Amino acid sequence: MDFLSDFLARFGAQLQSPTLGFLIGGIVIAALGSELAIPDAIYKFIVFMLLIKVGLTGGMAIRNASLAEMLLPALFAMVTGIVIVLIGRYVFAKLPGIRVVDAVATGGLFGAVSGSTMVAGITVLEGQGLEYEAWAGALYPFMDIPALVTAIVVASIYTSRQKREKYLKNEKYLGKEEYIGMQPVAAGGAAIDQPVAAGGYSTSDQRSSGGYSGESGGSSGGYAKGPGGASSNRVKIWPIVKESLQGSALSALLLGLALGILTRPESVYESFYDPLFRGLLSILMLIMGMEAWARANELRKVAQWYALYAFVAPFLHGFIAFGLGMVAHYATGFSAGGVALLAIIAASSSDISGPPTLRAGIPSANPSAYIGASTAIGTPVAIALCIPLFVGLAQAMTGG
Amino acid sequence: MAKPAKKLVIITEKLLLKKVAQIIDEAGATGYTVLETGGKGSRSVRSSGQPSVSDTTSNIKFEVLTENQDMAMKISDRVAAEFFNDYAGIAYICDAEVLYAHQFCGPDGC
Repeated sequence: MDFLSDFLARFGAQLQSPTLGFLIGGIVIAALGSELAIPDAIYKFIVFMLLIKVGLTGGMAIRNASLAEMLLPALFAMVTGIVIVLIGRYVFAKLPGIRVVDAVATGGLFGAVSGSTMVAGITVLEGQGLEYEAWAGALYPFMDIPALVTAIVVASIYTSRQKREKYLKNEKYLGKEEYIGMQPVAAGGAAIDQPVAAGGYSTSDQRSSGGYSGESGGSSGGYAKGPGGASSNRVKIWPIVKESLQGSALSALLLGLALGILTRPESVYESFYDPLFRGLLSILMLIMGMEAWARANELRKVAQWYALYAFVAPFLHGFIAFGLGMVAHYATGFSAGGVALLAIIAASSSDISGPPTLRAGIPSANPSAYIGASTAIGTPVAIALCIPLFVGLAQAMTGG
Repeated sequence: MAKPAKKLVIITEKLLLKKVAQIIDEAGATGYTVLETGGKGSRSVRSSGQPSVSDTTSNIKFEVLTENQDMAMKISDRVAAEFFNDYAGIAYICDAEVLYAHQFCGPDGC
């Protein structure tokens, strides 16, 4: 009971924090039809400022940290990113009225990381005085990129298999009962053509499965067994990784990291980036709130399951990462604040770099579904509920 | 003197800017103009200027002057085949008379 009342007290305090206050304020004025518009350029500038600050902090910390400490949390961040997408593919996609590509794209977006949620989480951790490794912000790309790559690979495997099955149904002369195993064929034509067809398939199958195991080996080993898939429609991993790295969010973060490691940015950090951090975050939260309301209208056009998923997923994903983070806590002394931050980035869903990458990578998925679910529900839930939850849990579990 | 030409207009998602531009270049057009746009189509309203979390939601309009219908058709066919199944987009063609354009008409003008 102590834990619960403690948590509720923290949660009440969180409601009065500027982070959440501005988010709700944005939702309210957008709902009231306010004409207030914050230019896109300012939004992009704020995101850049916040992430370069996180990057600089991380870079300066890495200079003094041993890389071995980062290894396990980084691995767990990757695992979380991939598992989230697989949950989307094999659990969420099974719900009625959900198309598989939409489910995979939604999983990918929720697996990817939101810079603004992470920054809000860092602010709360600092406000609560909970110690965390300053390099924990550098876990961002370790979760973000594997999630996006996995989502696009899984979706491509699925769509090319769909295409192949469609092709087989239309193709009279190929022995399709051999491949699908449940489509009876008129005996006459098939019997004559079977040797040719069987020969053709065995080679093309080898080719396509060989291609997948080779290409996806880098990010996750699980695809080698991925059934089917036309060899002409292979998924290239590197362009997806490149696109994620070139996205505005990761570019800023990685630039900050590099500058933090390679240069001595303390003076500009202390006089410029650090003091502006909280003020800019409040404006960003206002924009996120307005955006959440605008997107809620789009979400109404798709199945209600998206709303449910978007509400439950941040908690589920956060708890997965929290569990893995606790393993790292006991194994290598990963700090309580670090565990909370890992859970927070798992709970977040990407809002900057993720949507364009997924739109380009999974063109057949409906962006109203995944962007709407993420922006309208996922992000507010992650910021308003998951941040205080995981910070409180980390404090309680580790006696911090 | 005005030189007769065709104006191909393609309105599509901003996400495709580079890819469409590449198709236009490969078709051999001398140039194109791109504008940020918004409006209403058969799918939904697309506005610009609101705070948007990503650029995926804004639209662009390409205007390409081509000397003949063939090149315009070549470009629009490729763009439509590659993108318009999955992305929002429309393409149309108009008659145009170019009054002055150094690149398009040659060194002596139109």
